[in-house]
Amino acid sequence: MRNTAPMFGRFRYGYVAPAVLLVAGLLYAPFVWTAYLSLTRYDGLEPPAFVGLANFAKLFQDEALLTSTRNTLIWVIGTMVLPVGLGLLVAVLSYDIKGGAWYRVPFMLPYALSGAGLAMVWSPILSHDGIANLLLGVDTAFLQDAPANTFAMLAVWTWQQLGVNTLLFVVGLQSIPKEPIEAARLDGAAGWRLFRHVIWPLMRPLTAVVVGLALVAGLKTFDIVWVLTQGGPGRNSETLAVTMYKETFVASDYGYGSAVAVMLTVVTGLASYLYLKRQVTAT
Amino acid sequence: MIRRAVLVVLGLVWLGPTYLLLVNASRPASSYDPGSAWIPSGDFALFDNFAQALEGADLSQSLASTALYSVVSPLLGVVIGALAGYVIVVLRLRGGFWWFLLIFGGTVFPSQMLLVPLFVGYSDAGLYDSRLGLILVYTAINVPLAAFVLRNFYSGVAFSIFEAARMDGASTWRIFWRIYLPISFTALTAVFILEFTFIWNDLIFGLTLSQTEEVRPVMTAIAGLMTDVYAGTPVPVGLAAGLVVSLPTVVLFLATQRLFARGLSLGSVQ
Repeated sequence: MRNTAPMFGRFRYGYVAPAVLLVAGLLYAPFVWTAYLSLTRYDGLEPPAFVGLANFAKLFQDEALLTSTRNTLIWVIGTMVLPVGLGLLVAVLSYDIKGGAWYRVPFMLPYALSGAGLAMVWSPILSHDGIANLLLGVDTAFLQDAPANTFAMLAVWTWQQLGVNTLLFVVGLQSIPKEPIEAARLDGAAGWRLFRHVIWPLMRPLTAVVVGLALVAGLKTFDIVWVLTQGGPGRNSETLAVTMYKETFVASDYGYGSAVAVMLTVVTGLASYLYLKRQVTAT
Repeated sequence: MIRRAVLVVLGLVWLGPTYLLLVNASRPASSYDPGSAWIPSGDFALFDNFAQALEGADLSQSLASTALYSVVSPLLGVVIGALAGYVIVVLRLRGGFWWFLLIFGGTVFPSQMLLVPLFVGYSDAGLYDSRLGLILVYTAINVPLAAFVLRNFYSGVAFSIFEAARMDGASTWRIFWRIYLPISFTALTAVFILEFTFIWNDLIFGLTLSQTEEVRPVMTAIAGLMTDVYAGTPVPVGLAAGLVVSLPTVVLFLATQRLFARGLSLGSVQ
Protein backbone atom coordinates (compact mmCIF):
# COMPACT_ATOMS: atom_id res chain seq x y z
CA MET A 1 0.00 0.00 0.00
CA ARG A 2 2.87 2.34 0.76
CA ASN A 3 3.47 3.09 -2.90
CA THR A 4 0.00 4.52 -3.40
CA ALA A 5 0.35 6.86 -0.44
CA PRO A 6 1.74 9.87 -2.33
CA MET A 7 -1.26 9.87 -4.65
CA PHE A 8 -3.48 11.10 -1.92
CA GLY A 9 -0.75 12.65 0.14
CA ARG A 10 -1.13 15.85 2.04
CA PHE A 11 -4.78 16.51 1.68
CA ARG A 12 -5.42 13.65 4.07
CA TYR A 13 -5.05 16.11 6.87
CA GLY A 14 -8.01 17.92 5.43
CA TYR A 15 -10.18 14.91 6.29
CA VAL A 16 -9.23 14.92 9.93
CA ALA A 17 -9.08 18.72 10.22
CA PRO A 18 -12.80 19.44 10.90
CA ALA A 19 -12.87 16.95 13.78
CA VAL A 20 -9.60 18.18 15.25
CA LEU A 21 -10.50 21.86 14.88
CA LEU A 22 -13.90 21.46 16.51
CA VAL A 23 -12.60 19.34 19.36
CA ALA A 24 -9.53 21.49 19.93
CA GLY A 25 -11.35 24.79 19.62
CA LEU A 26 -14.52 24.05 21.54
CA LEU A 27 -13.44 21.37 24.02
CA TYR A 28 -9.68 21.44 24.64
CA ALA A 29 -9.16 25.19 24.52
CA PRO A 30 -12.03 25.99 26.92
CA PHE A 31 -10.80 23.24 29.22
CA VAL A 32 -7.31 24.74 29.42
CA TRP A 33 -8.74 28.24 29.72
CA THR A 34 -10.96 27.22 32.64
CA ALA A 35 -7.96 25.64 34.35
CA TYR A 36 -6.11 28.94 33.95
CA LEU A 37 -9.09 31.05 35.07
CA SER A 38 -9.29 29.02 38.27
CA LEU A 39 -6.03 30.73 39.23
CA THR A 40 -7.37 34.22 38.62
CA ARG A 41 -9.83 36.74 39.91
CA TYR A 42 -12.17 37.43 37.04
CA ASP A 43 -15.62 38.94 36.71
CA GLY A 44 -15.92 38.81 32.93
CA LEU A 45 -15.42 42.57 32.56
CA GLU A 46 -11.93 43.38 33.81
CA PRO A 47 -9.17 41.16 32.45
CA PRO A 48 -8.39 38.15 34.67
CA ALA A 49 -5.92 38.92 37.47
CA PHE A 50 -3.61 36.11 38.54
CA VAL A 51 -4.11 35.22 42.21
CA GLY A 52 -2.38 31.85 42.47
CA LEU A 53 -4.20 29.28 44.52
CA ALA A 54 -6.41 31.78 46.37
CA ASN A 55 -9.61 30.38 44.84
CA PHE A 56 -8.69 26.89 45.93
CA ALA A 57 -7.87 28.09 49.43
CA LYS A 58 -11.32 29.66 49.51
CA LEU A 59 -12.88 26.32 48.51
CA PHE A 60 -11.84 24.84 51.82
CA GLN A 61 -13.33 27.64 53.91
CA ASP A 62 -16.56 28.04 51.99
CA GLU A 63 -19.51 26.69 53.91
CA ALA A 64 -21.75 26.62 50.84
CA LEU A 65 -19.18 24.40 49.19
CA LEU A 66 -19.20 22.07 52.15
CA THR A 67 -22.97 21.74 51.78
CA SER A 68 -22.77 21.10 48.07
CA THR A 69 -20.01 18.55 48.59
CA ARG A 70 -22.21 16.74 51.10
CA ASN A 71 -25.18 16.86 48.73
CA THR A 72 -23.06 15.63 45.85
CA LEU A 73 -21.89 12.75 48.02
CA ILE A 74 -25.52 11.86 48.78
CA TRP A 75 -26.25 11.97 45.05
CA VAL A 76 -23.28 9.77 44.20
CA ILE A 77 -23.96 7.11 46.80
CA GLY A 78 -27.70 7.38 46.27
CA THR A 79 -27.53 6.91 42.49
CA MET A 80 -25.08 4.04 42.87
CA VAL A 81 -27.34 2.27 45.37
CA LEU A 82 -31.00 3.06 44.67
CA PRO A 83 -31.67 2.99 40.91
CA VAL A 84 -29.04 0.31 40.42
CA GLY A 85 -29.99 -1.86 43.41
CA LEU A 86 -33.74 -1.65 42.83
CA GLY A 87 -33.18 -2.11 39.11
CA LEU A 88 -31.29 -5.31 39.78
CA LEU A 89 -34.03 -6.44 42.18
CA VAL A 90 -36.81 -5.90 39.64
CA ALA A 91 -34.74 -7.58 36.92
CA VAL A 92 -33.97 -10.64 39.02
CA LEU A 93 -37.58 -10.96 40.15
CA SER A 94 -39.03 -10.64 36.68
CA TYR A 95 -36.56 -11.95 34.11
CA ASP A 96 -37.61 -15.60 34.04
CA ILE A 97 -41.28 -15.52 35.05
CA LYS A 98 -44.14 -15.75 32.63
CA GLY A 99 -45.26 -12.30 31.48
CA GLY A 100 -42.20 -10.73 33.10
CA ALA A 101 -42.14 -7.94 30.55
CA TRP A 102 -45.62 -6.84 31.64
CA TYR A 103 -44.52 -6.59 35.25
CA ARG A 104 -41.76 -4.26 34.10
CA VAL A 105 -44.00 -1.82 32.22
CA PRO A 106 -44.67 0.45 35.25
CA PHE A 107 -40.94 0.95 35.66
CA MET A 108 -40.32 1.69 32.01
CA LEU A 109 -42.95 4.42 31.65
CA PRO A 110 -41.12 7.11 33.68
CA TYR A 111 -38.05 6.72 31.51
CA ALA A 112 -39.97 8.34 28.70
CA LEU A 113 -39.76 11.64 30.54
CA SER A 114 -36.57 13.45 29.97
CA GLY A 115 -34.44 16.15 31.49
CA ALA A 116 -36.35 19.17 32.62
CA GLY A 117 -39.63 17.46 31.76
CA LEU A 118 -39.09 15.12 34.70
CA ALA A 119 -38.67 17.92 37.20
CA MET A 120 -41.60 19.77 35.67
CA VAL A 121 -43.80 16.80 36.44
CA TRP A 122 -42.68 16.37 40.03
CA SER A 123 -42.78 19.98 41.08
CA PRO A 124 -46.55 20.11 41.71
CA ILE A 125 -46.36 16.80 43.55
CA LEU A 126 -43.59 17.85 45.92
CA SER A 127 -44.42 21.52 46.38
CA HIS A 128 -45.64 22.75 49.72
CA ASP A 129 -49.33 22.78 48.86
CA GLY A 130 -48.70 19.88 46.51
CA ILE A 131 -50.31 16.56 45.82
CA ALA A 132 -47.99 14.42 47.94
CA ASN A 133 -48.76 16.30 51.12
CA LEU A 134 -52.50 16.23 50.54
CA LEU A 135 -52.59 12.60 49.50
CA LEU A 136 -50.47 11.39 52.36
CA GLY A 137 -52.27 13.67 54.79
CA VAL A 138 -48.99 15.14 56.00
CA ASP A 139 -47.45 18.57 55.92
CA THR A 140 -43.88 17.96 54.88
CA ALA A 141 -41.78 20.52 53.11
CA PHE A 142 -40.20 17.99 50.75
CA LEU A 143 -38.01 20.49 48.98
CA GLN A 144 -37.36 22.74 51.96
CA ASP A 145 -35.01 21.33 54.58
CA ALA A 146 -31.57 19.90 53.91
CA PRO A 147 -30.63 17.16 53.46
CA ALA A 148 -34.23 15.88 53.16
CA ASN A 149 -34.74 17.85 49.93
CA THR A 150 -31.80 16.08 48.33
CA PHE A 151 -33.29 12.73 49.31
CA ALA A 152 -36.65 13.77 47.85
CA MET A 153 -34.99 14.61 44.54
CA LEU A 154 -33.05 11.37 44.71
CA ALA A 155 -36.36 9.54 45.02
CA VAL A 156 -37.58 11.31 41.86
CA TRP A 157 -34.38 10.34 40.09
CA THR A 158 -34.78 6.73 41.20
CA TRP A 159 -38.34 6.74 39.93
CA GLN A 160 -37.10 7.79 36.51
CA GLN A 161 -33.86 5.79 36.25
CA LEU A 162 -34.99 2.42 37.60
CA GLY A 163 -36.44 1.28 34.28
CA VAL A 164 -33.34 1.65 32.19
CA ASN A 165 -31.22 -0.14 34.78
CA THR A 166 -33.79 -2.93 34.97
CA LEU A 167 -33.63 -3.27 31.21
CA LEU A 168 -29.84 -3.52 31.21
CA PHE A 169 -29.93 -6.16 33.94
CA VAL A 170 -32.66 -8.16 32.21
CA VAL A 171 -30.60 -8.27 29.03
CA GLY A 172 -27.62 -9.34 31.13
CA LEU A 173 -29.58 -12.01 32.99
CA GLN A 174 -31.02 -13.42 29.80
CA SER A 175 -27.61 -13.70 28.23
CA ILE A 176 -25.82 -15.47 31.08
CA PRO A 177 -25.19 -19.17 30.43
CA LYS A 178 -28.03 -21.44 31.56
CA GLU A 179 -25.87 -24.42 32.55
CA PRO A 180 -24.42 -23.18 35.86
CA ILE A 181 -27.90 -22.13 37.00
CA GLU A 182 -29.46 -25.45 36.02
CA ALA A 183 -26.63 -27.31 37.73
CA ALA A 184 -27.04 -25.27 40.92
CA ARG A 185 -30.82 -25.85 40.84
CA LEU A 186 -30.24 -29.60 40.60
CA ASP A 187 -27.97 -29.32 43.61
CA GLY A 188 -30.86 -27.77 45.49
CA ALA A 189 -29.93 -24.09 45.36
CA ALA A 190 -32.84 -21.69 45.11
CA GLY A 191 -33.91 -18.16 45.95
CA TRP A 192 -31.35 -16.05 47.71
CA ARG A 193 -28.64 -18.73 47.73
CA LEU A 194 -28.96 -19.26 44.00
CA PHE A 195 -28.75 -15.53 43.43
CA ARG A 196 -25.88 -14.92 45.83
CA HIS A 197 -23.60 -17.74 44.71
CA VAL A 198 -24.46 -18.32 41.07
CA ILE A 199 -26.28 -15.42 39.43
CA TRP A 200 -24.53 -12.54 41.17
CA PRO A 201 -20.97 -13.61 40.26
CA LEU A 202 -22.05 -13.94 36.62
CA MET A 203 -23.68 -10.49 36.72
CA ARG A 204 -20.75 -8.74 38.34
CA PRO A 205 -19.09 -7.34 35.19
CA LEU A 206 -22.34 -5.77 33.98
CA THR A 207 -23.11 -4.41 37.44
CA ALA A 208 -19.66 -2.84 37.54
CA VAL A 209 -20.40 -0.93 34.33
CA VAL A 210 -23.84 0.22 35.48
CA VAL A 211 -22.51 1.35 38.87
CA GLY A 212 -19.59 3.11 37.18
CA LEU A 213 -21.96 5.06 34.93
CA ALA A 214 -24.08 5.97 37.97
CA LEU A 215 -20.96 7.17 39.79
CA VAL A 216 -20.06 9.65 37.06
CA ALA A 217 -23.68 10.74 36.53
CA GLY A 218 -24.13 11.26 40.27
CA LEU A 219 -21.06 13.47 40.50
CA LYS A 220 -22.35 15.70 37.70
CA THR A 221 -25.95 16.02 38.96
CA PHE A 222 -27.31 19.32 37.73
CA ASP A 223 -30.53 19.32 35.70
CA ILE A 224 -32.98 17.92 38.22
CA VAL A 225 -31.71 20.11 41.06
CA TRP A 226 -31.65 23.20 38.89
CA VAL A 227 -35.23 22.78 37.80
CA LEU A 228 -36.74 21.62 41.10
CA THR A 229 -34.98 23.86 43.63
CA GLN A 230 -32.28 25.87 41.82
CA GLY A 231 -30.05 24.69 44.65
CA GLY A 232 -32.22 26.33 47.29
CA PRO A 233 -33.82 27.29 49.52
CA GLY A 234 -30.82 29.46 50.19
CA ARG A 235 -28.09 27.21 48.95
CA ASN A 236 -28.91 24.07 50.87
CA SER A 237 -29.63 21.65 48.00
CA GLU A 238 -26.80 22.72 45.71
CA THR A 239 -24.59 20.09 44.14
CA LEU A 240 -21.07 20.89 42.97
CA ALA A 241 -22.28 21.38 39.41
CA VAL A 242 -25.00 23.76 40.60
CA THR A 243 -22.53 25.66 42.80
CA MET A 244 -20.22 26.03 39.82
CA TYR A 245 -23.02 27.45 37.71
CA LYS A 246 -24.26 29.83 40.42
CA GLU A 247 -20.83 31.15 41.41
CA THR A 248 -20.08 31.84 37.77
CA PHE A 249 -23.26 33.05 36.19
CA VAL A 250 -25.24 34.34 39.16
CA ALA A 251 -22.45 35.76 41.33
CA SER A 252 -20.21 36.61 38.32
CA ASP A 253 -17.22 35.17 40.14
CA TYR A 254 -15.73 33.44 37.11
CA GLY A 255 -12.45 32.63 38.81
CA TYR A 256 -14.02 30.91 41.77
CA GLY A 257 -16.59 29.16 39.57
CA SER A 258 -13.72 27.82 37.48
CA ALA A 259 -12.01 26.56 40.63
CA VAL A 260 -15.18 24.64 41.52
CA ALA A 261 -15.23 23.21 37.98
CA VAL A 262 -11.61 22.13 38.32
CA MET A 263 -12.34 20.52 41.66
CA LEU A 264 -15.33 18.68 40.20
CA THR A 265 -13.19 17.46 37.32
CA VAL A 266 -10.40 16.27 39.60
CA VAL A 267 -12.86 14.48 41.88
CA THR A 268 -14.60 12.84 38.90
CA GLY A 269 -11.30 11.76 37.40
CA LEU A 270 -9.99 10.43 40.68
CA ALA A 271 -13.19 8.59 41.53
CA SER A 272 -13.37 7.00 38.07
CA TYR A 273 -9.71 6.00 38.29
CA LEU A 274 -10.05 4.44 41.74
CA TYR A 275 -13.26 2.71 40.74
CA LEU A 276 -11.79 1.27 37.54
CA LYS A 277 -8.67 0.18 39.37
CA ARG A 278 -10.73 -1.61 41.99
CA GLN A 279 -12.79 -3.32 39.32
CA VAL A 280 -9.68 -4.47 37.50
CA THR A 281 -7.98 -5.83 40.59
CA ALA A 282 -11.19 -7.45 41.84
CA THR A 283 -11.67 -9.54 38.73
CA MET B 1 -45.68 -16.01 44.26
CA ILE B 2 -43.70 -13.71 46.55
CA ARG B 3 -41.80 -12.51 43.51
CA ARG B 4 -44.98 -11.46 41.75
CA ALA B 5 -46.33 -9.82 44.89
CA VAL B 6 -43.19 -7.72 45.33
CA LEU B 7 -43.26 -6.75 41.65
CA VAL B 8 -46.90 -5.74 41.81
CA VAL B 9 -46.50 -3.65 44.96
CA LEU B 10 -43.40 -1.91 43.65
CA GLY B 11 -45.08 -1.47 40.28
CA LEU B 12 -48.09 0.21 41.87
CA VAL B 13 -45.82 2.61 43.74
CA TRP B 14 -44.16 3.44 40.41
CA LEU B 15 -47.47 3.82 38.60
CA GLY B 16 -48.79 6.32 41.15
CA PRO B 17 -46.89 9.38 39.91
CA THR B 18 -47.35 8.28 36.29
CA TYR B 19 -51.09 8.19 36.87
CA LEU B 20 -51.10 11.61 38.55
CA LEU B 21 -49.11 13.01 35.65
CA LEU B 22 -51.45 11.66 32.97
CA VAL B 23 -54.66 12.59 34.79
CA ASN B 24 -53.57 16.12 35.61
CA ALA B 25 -51.92 16.85 32.29
CA SER B 26 -55.26 16.04 30.63
CA ARG B 27 -57.27 18.17 33.07
CA PRO B 28 -58.59 21.57 31.94
CA ALA B 29 -56.05 24.12 33.10
CA SER B 30 -58.47 26.01 35.31
CA SER B 31 -59.85 23.03 37.23
CA TYR B 32 -56.65 21.90 38.92
CA ASP B 33 -56.92 21.34 42.65
CA PRO B 34 -54.13 19.49 44.44
CA GLY B 35 -56.59 18.04 46.95
CA SER B 36 -58.48 16.07 44.31
CA ALA B 37 -55.61 15.58 41.93
CA TRP B 38 -56.12 11.82 41.85
CA ILE B 39 -59.66 12.06 40.48
CA PRO B 40 -59.83 12.14 36.67
CA SER B 41 -61.67 15.19 35.41
CA GLY B 42 -63.55 13.43 32.64
CA ASP B 43 -62.37 15.99 30.11
CA PHE B 44 -59.40 15.49 27.85
CA ALA B 45 -57.56 18.77 27.65
CA LEU B 46 -54.01 17.56 27.09
CA PHE B 47 -53.70 19.21 23.70
CA ASP B 48 -55.36 22.41 24.85
CA ASN B 49 -52.91 22.55 27.72
CA PHE B 50 -50.01 22.01 25.42
CA ALA B 51 -51.30 24.62 23.01
CA GLN B 52 -51.46 27.00 25.95
CA ALA B 53 -47.85 26.22 26.85
CA LEU B 54 -46.84 26.80 23.24
CA GLU B 55 -48.44 30.22 23.25
CA GLY B 56 -47.91 31.36 26.80
CA ALA B 57 -44.28 30.42 27.13
CA ASP B 58 -43.52 30.68 23.44
CA LEU B 59 -42.39 27.08 23.42
CA SER B 60 -43.01 26.76 19.70
CA GLN B 61 -39.91 28.74 18.80
CA SER B 62 -37.83 26.79 21.30
CA LEU B 63 -39.17 23.54 19.89
CA ALA B 64 -38.24 24.57 16.37
CA SER B 65 -34.74 25.59 17.47
CA THR B 66 -34.21 22.38 19.41
CA ALA B 67 -35.39 20.33 16.45
CA LEU B 68 -32.84 22.18 14.32
CA TYR B 69 -30.00 21.62 16.81
CA SER B 70 -30.77 17.98 17.45
CA VAL B 71 -30.89 17.13 13.75
CA VAL B 72 -28.17 19.33 12.26
CA SER B 73 -25.50 18.89 14.93
CA PRO B 74 -25.58 15.08 15.02
CA LEU B 75 -25.63 14.99 11.21
CA LEU B 76 -22.55 17.19 11.03
CA GLY B 77 -21.05 15.29 13.95
CA VAL B 78 -21.38 11.84 12.40
CA VAL B 79 -20.09 12.96 9.00
CA ILE B 80 -17.11 14.76 10.54
CA GLY B 81 -16.45 11.82 12.86
CA ALA B 82 -16.78 9.37 9.95
CA LEU B 83 -14.33 11.42 7.89
CA ALA B 84 -11.82 11.26 10.71
CA GLY B 85 -12.37 7.52 11.14
CA TYR B 86 -11.98 7.04 7.38
CA VAL B 87 -8.74 8.94 7.06
CA ILE B 88 -7.28 7.26 10.15
CA VAL B 89 -8.24 3.68 9.34
CA VAL B 90 -8.60 3.50 5.57
CA LEU B 91 -6.23 6.17 4.33
CA ARG B 92 -3.80 5.22 7.11
CA LEU B 93 -2.98 8.71 8.21
CA ARG B 94 0.50 8.89 9.70
CA GLY B 95 0.24 8.93 13.50
CA GLY B 96 -3.42 8.07 13.02
CA PHE B 97 -3.79 6.54 16.46
CA TRP B 98 -2.63 9.76 18.10
CA TRP B 99 -5.02 11.83 16.05
CA PHE B 100 -7.75 9.46 17.12
CA LEU B 101 -6.72 9.74 20.76
CA LEU B 102 -6.73 13.52 20.46
CA ILE B 103 -10.28 13.52 19.07
CA PHE B 104 -11.64 10.88 21.40
CA GLY B 105 -10.04 12.64 24.38
CA GLY B 106 -12.71 15.28 23.91
CA THR B 107 -15.21 13.07 25.72
CA VAL B 108 -13.54 13.36 29.10
CA PHE B 109 -14.20 17.04 29.76
CA PRO B 110 -17.16 17.69 32.05
CA SER B 111 -19.36 20.43 30.63
CA GLN B 112 -18.64 22.59 33.68
CA MET B 113 -15.07 22.98 32.45
CA LEU B 114 -16.30 24.43 29.17
CA LEU B 115 -18.97 26.87 30.25
CA VAL B 116 -17.02 29.97 31.25
CA PRO B 117 -14.69 30.16 28.24
CA LEU B 118 -17.54 29.32 25.88
CA PHE B 119 -19.69 32.05 27.39
CA VAL B 120 -16.93 34.66 27.32
CA GLY B 121 -15.56 33.54 23.96
CA TYR B 122 -19.01 33.41 22.38
CA SER B 123 -19.80 36.89 23.69
CA ASP B 124 -16.61 38.26 22.12
CA ALA B 125 -17.14 36.43 18.84
CA GLY B 126 -20.78 37.43 18.54
CA LEU B 127 -21.88 33.81 18.82
CA TYR B 128 -23.67 34.24 22.15
CA ASP B 129 -27.39 33.68 21.82
CA SER B 130 -27.07 32.54 18.21
CA ARG B 131 -28.23 29.31 16.65
CA LEU B 132 -24.88 28.92 14.92
CA GLY B 133 -23.10 29.04 18.27
CA LEU B 134 -25.21 26.27 19.75
CA ILE B 135 -24.92 24.13 16.61
CA LEU B 136 -21.13 24.49 16.78
CA VAL B 137 -20.78 23.45 20.39
CA TYR B 138 -23.26 20.58 20.09
CA THR B 139 -21.43 19.33 16.99
CA ALA B 140 -18.07 19.47 18.75
CA ILE B 141 -19.44 17.43 21.64
CA ASN B 142 -20.77 14.84 19.20
CA VAL B 143 -17.60 14.36 17.19
CA PRO B 144 -15.57 12.19 19.63
CA LEU B 145 -18.23 9.48 19.96
CA ALA B 146 -18.85 9.46 16.21
CA ALA B 147 -15.12 9.14 15.52
CA PHE B 148 -14.87 6.32 18.07
CA VAL B 149 -17.72 4.23 16.68
CA LEU B 150 -16.86 4.85 13.03
CA ARG B 151 -13.17 4.12 13.53
CA ASN B 152 -14.16 0.77 15.00
CA PHE B 153 -16.59 0.17 12.18
CA TYR B 154 -14.12 0.96 9.40
CA SER B 155 -11.50 -1.29 11.04
CA GLY B 156 -13.85 -4.18 10.32
CA VAL B 157 -14.33 -3.31 6.63
CA ALA B 158 -12.18 -5.25 4.15
CA PHE B 159 -9.47 -3.02 2.73
CA SER B 160 -9.87 -4.68 -0.68
CA ILE B 161 -13.03 -2.61 -1.15
CA PHE B 162 -10.94 0.52 -1.07
CA GLU B 163 -8.28 -0.93 -3.34
CA ALA B 164 -10.87 -2.04 -5.88
CA ALA B 165 -12.40 1.42 -5.95
CA ARG B 166 -8.99 2.98 -6.41
CA MET B 167 -8.34 0.64 -9.35
CA ASP B 168 -11.50 1.89 -10.93
CA GLY B 169 -10.12 5.39 -10.63
CA ALA B 170 -12.36 6.79 -7.89
CA SER B 171 -10.88 9.58 -5.81
CA THR B 172 -10.54 9.05 -2.05
CA TRP B 173 -13.12 11.77 -1.50
CA ARG B 174 -15.59 10.02 -3.78
CA ILE B 175 -14.89 6.63 -2.18
CA PHE B 176 -15.79 8.11 1.19
CA TRP B 177 -19.13 9.56 0.07
CA ARG B 178 -20.13 6.76 -2.28
CA ILE B 179 -18.89 3.69 -0.42
CA TYR B 180 -17.75 4.17 3.15
CA LEU B 181 -20.45 6.54 4.31
CA PRO B 182 -23.34 4.43 2.92
CA ILE B 183 -22.04 1.10 4.27
CA SER B 184 -21.79 2.53 7.77
CA PHE B 185 -25.41 3.67 7.72
CA THR B 186 -26.55 1.62 10.73
CA ALA B 187 -23.58 2.66 12.86
CA LEU B 188 -24.17 6.27 11.87
CA THR B 189 -27.83 5.97 12.79
CA ALA B 190 -27.05 4.56 16.24
CA VAL B 191 -24.68 7.43 16.97
CA PHE B 192 -27.18 9.90 15.53
CA ILE B 193 -29.91 8.69 17.90
CA LEU B 194 -27.68 8.91 20.97
CA GLU B 195 -26.60 12.39 20.04
CA PHE B 196 -30.08 13.51 19.10
CA THR B 197 -31.26 12.47 22.56
CA PHE B 198 -28.35 14.19 24.26
CA ILE B 199 -28.99 17.48 22.50
CA TRP B 200 -32.75 17.32 22.83
CA ASN B 201 -32.38 16.93 26.60
CA ASP B 202 -29.59 19.42 27.06
CA LEU B 203 -30.20 22.07 29.67
CA ILE B 204 -26.85 23.53 30.65
CA PHE B 205 -25.50 24.72 27.30
CA GLY B 206 -28.83 26.28 26.46
CA LEU B 207 -28.87 27.96 29.85
CA THR B 208 -25.36 29.34 29.44
CA LEU B 209 -25.19 30.25 25.77
CA SER B 210 -28.64 31.52 24.88
CA GLN B 211 -31.16 34.00 26.09
CA THR B 212 -33.89 34.82 23.61
CA GLU B 213 -36.89 32.65 22.89
CA GLU B 214 -35.86 32.09 19.27
CA VAL B 215 -32.51 30.56 20.22
CA ARG B 216 -33.19 28.94 23.58
CA PRO B 217 -33.53 25.15 23.39
CA VAL B 218 -36.73 23.61 24.67
CA MET B 219 -35.47 22.03 27.90
CA THR B 220 -34.04 25.36 28.94
CA ALA B 221 -37.32 27.01 28.06
CA ILE B 222 -39.20 24.41 30.10
CA ALA B 223 -36.89 24.99 33.04
CA GLY B 224 -37.62 28.69 32.67
CA LEU B 225 -41.32 27.94 32.74
CA MET B 226 -40.73 26.50 36.20
CA THR B 227 -38.12 28.79 37.62
CA ASP B 228 -38.98 32.22 36.20
CA VAL B 229 -42.70 32.32 35.90
CA TYR B 230 -43.69 29.26 37.88
CA ALA B 231 -46.42 31.13 39.72
CA GLY B 232 -48.02 32.02 36.42
CA THR B 233 -48.04 28.58 34.83
CA PRO B 234 -51.09 26.44 35.68
CA VAL B 235 -50.02 22.97 36.78
CA PRO B 236 -51.83 21.07 34.00
CA VAL B 237 -50.15 23.28 31.40
CA GLY B 238 -46.74 22.62 32.90
CA LEU B 239 -47.39 18.88 33.07
CA ALA B 240 -48.60 18.74 29.48
CA ALA B 241 -45.52 20.65 28.38
CA GLY B 242 -43.20 18.30 30.29
CA LEU B 243 -44.95 15.32 28.75
CA VAL B 244 -45.03 16.47 25.18
CA VAL B 245 -41.45 17.72 24.99
CA SER B 246 -40.33 14.28 26.14
CA LEU B 247 -42.16 12.53 23.32
CA PRO B 248 -39.78 13.05 20.36
CA THR B 249 -36.93 11.10 21.95
CA VAL B 250 -39.28 8.25 22.86
CA VAL B 251 -40.79 8.10 19.39
CA LEU B 252 -37.38 8.21 17.72
CA PHE B 253 -36.06 5.51 19.99
CA LEU B 254 -39.05 3.19 19.54
CA ALA B 255 -39.06 3.71 15.79
CA THR B 256 -35.41 2.82 15.43
CA GLN B 257 -34.92 0.27 18.21
CA ARG B 258 -33.78 -2.56 15.93
CA LEU B 259 -31.53 -0.42 13.83
CA PHE B 260 -30.11 1.08 16.99
CA ALA B 261 -29.18 -2.25 18.57
CA ARG B 262 -27.73 -3.50 15.30
CA GLY B 263 -25.75 -0.32 14.73
CA LEU B 264 -24.14 -0.37 18.15
CA SER B 265 -23.16 -4.01 17.93
CA LEU B 266 -21.70 -3.40 14.48
CA GLY B 267 -19.81 -0.49 15.92
CA SER B 268 -18.17 -2.67 18.53
CA VAL B 269 -17.09 -5.39 16.14
CA GLN B 270 -13.38 -5.13 15.59
